[in-house]
Amino acid sequence: MRAFLIAVAVLAALALLPLAVAGGYLLHVLVVIFIFVILAVGLDLVMGYCGQYSFAQGAFYGIGAYTAAILHRDLGFGFWQTLPSGIVAAGLFGLLLGIPSLRLSGHFLAITTIAFQTIVYLLLTQWTSFTGGQYGLPVPKVGALTLFGWELFRVETVRDFYFLALGCMAAAIGVAWRLAHSRIGRQWQAIQDDELLARAIGVDVTRGKLVAFVASAGLAGAAGVLLAHYLQGVSPDDFAIWTSATVVAMVLAGGRASIVGPILGAVLFTAMPEVLRSAQSYKLVIYGVVMILVVSFLPGGIVGLLRRERRA
Amino acid sequence: MSLLVCEGVTRRFGGLVAVDAVDLAVGEGEIVGLIGPNGSGKSTMVNLVTGVLPPSAGRIRFAGRDVTGMPSWRVARLGIARTFQMLRLFKSMSVRENVALALHPKLDGGLLGSALGLARPAAADRDARARADALLDLFGLAALADRPATALSIGQQRMVELARGMIVEPRLFVLDEPAAGLSPPNVEKLIELIRAMRDRHGITILLVEHVMKVVHALCDRVVVLDYGVKIADDDPDAVARDPRVVEAYIGGARKADDAGAG
Repeated sequence: MRAFLIAVAVLAALALLPLAVAGGYLLHVLVVIFIFVILAVGLDLVMGYCGQYSFAQGAFYGIGAYTAAILHRDLGFGFWQTLPSGIVAAGLFGLLLGIPSLRLSGHFLAITTIAFQTIVYLLLTQWTSFTGGQYGLPVPKVGALTLFGWELFRVETVRDFYFLALGCMAAAIGVAWRLAHSRIGRQWQAIQDDELLARAIGVDVTRGKLVAFVASAGLAGAAGVLLAHYLQGVSPDDFAIWTSATVVAMVLAGGRASIVGPILGAVLFTAMPEVLRSAQSYKLVIYGVVMILVVSFLPGGIVGLLRRERRA
Repeated sequence: MSLLVCEGVTRRFGGLVAVDAVDLAVGEGEIVGLIGPNGSGKSTMVNLVTGVLPPSAGRIRFAGRDVTGMPSWRVARLGIARTFQMLRLFKSMSVRENVALALHPKLDGGLLGSALGLARPAAADRDARARADALLDLFGLAALADRPATALSIGQQRMVELARGMIVEPRLFVLDEPAAGLSPPNVEKLIELIRAMRDRHGITILLVEHVMKVVHALCDRVVVLDYGVKIADDDPDAVARDPRVVEAYIGGARKADDAGAG
């Protein structure tokens, strides 16, 4: 209950922020943070709760974004159509990647997800006729959001988009929270702890893992659609392995299996490079060092540290 | 009618035949012991009955249903609970959570429902926790309910495993060496608990055990395996006198006789 009130207060503050801040730069950084929160919270379902290491969140992000771009190009889809399409497309690929997880675990599964991530990236860069190759594809602004012919909201400026991204992030956090705290979330933790025992008490491990992969990928797909409309275009380099590794770092540094942890991780890892602008070229080095330090000294991430403080 | 029927069940691992054409029937309300020397195939038999391993040949029926090759989670949902020779508890969960979680598959209201909050998991959760607490009280673990399960002693962890099985009110409870690592007073307590499971709750029990005292005190019937083959199936006293059983356990008895005769 207290967590819920804090969440509402933070969201309300974020919703009022544009009234106080005129500058587009801060809003831009926050939009990027919101998108990464969706990615990280999604990854937390499969990695934090279900215990299946995945380095493919960037690929699902890309699948969502390119689905939006391609369906706009070929069928003239607008945001109301690209959003569900991107979620479904990424979710289907999530199901596909979930299948090896039924037989593999640990490092072997992680390597499989890296292979999947690499294949998706190569398709985005090399299948030029379909994806536009390195040049990518254009995507329109979200524009007018209508429901049954009524215009609800117009998304033209960064500020407009800020509200849309905020709403999507809130919805994504809500979905993830709900899943993690429902019966399936409890079953994920059982699977993570001991698969054989989970089965022995009647947990359908196959379904549990596949649902985790699909939900995680679906959220990444939504993030991808948002990015595509926000940048008004897609290009492959946003969806390379570095993105996946960054999202993994966000989840680990923030604290897995907590929802709050990945949110903190996404804020930290998105804000850090903005603060350390001058050190831009060392970004990945800094990420790597932070990851090593966190995994070695803070296995519970920031959230684990806070919990320990409270208990002490 | 028998609750569990295994007919000619065989399990091979490569060239090794771990369980060889074993027939095993467990009647409703019976306590059947499954004994045998180390490596005789008892644990493999448990894994076959609970669906962890599919048999290489033969059929397994439970409550009139063919469960041959059925995955273990579905077998569990049909009403077969088990404990493990090497204790297995969810290490990230408390004692109470370990016990209550066993109920979850039973309360499964569907994914969509639980995700949308339609299945009202809160009410079901409260119910599961209350039932877990009642059982933990019965097993003398009430004071430890909030402790991490793996922080308990071996004896206490065995009790948690029993409570986890009991909470689902199984029709068949397969106990894999429940007395291993228990102190003598705890063995007495275990015997009482297992007897109460059958007498008061009508649970049928398949008991794999090394501690003969437990087998003798509880079992209506004892099945003996040796090198994967069933060598005896009778009441405990008759089995204890069976020369083939004595030979399997003591080993080389006949050879000693031969030497004496020659």
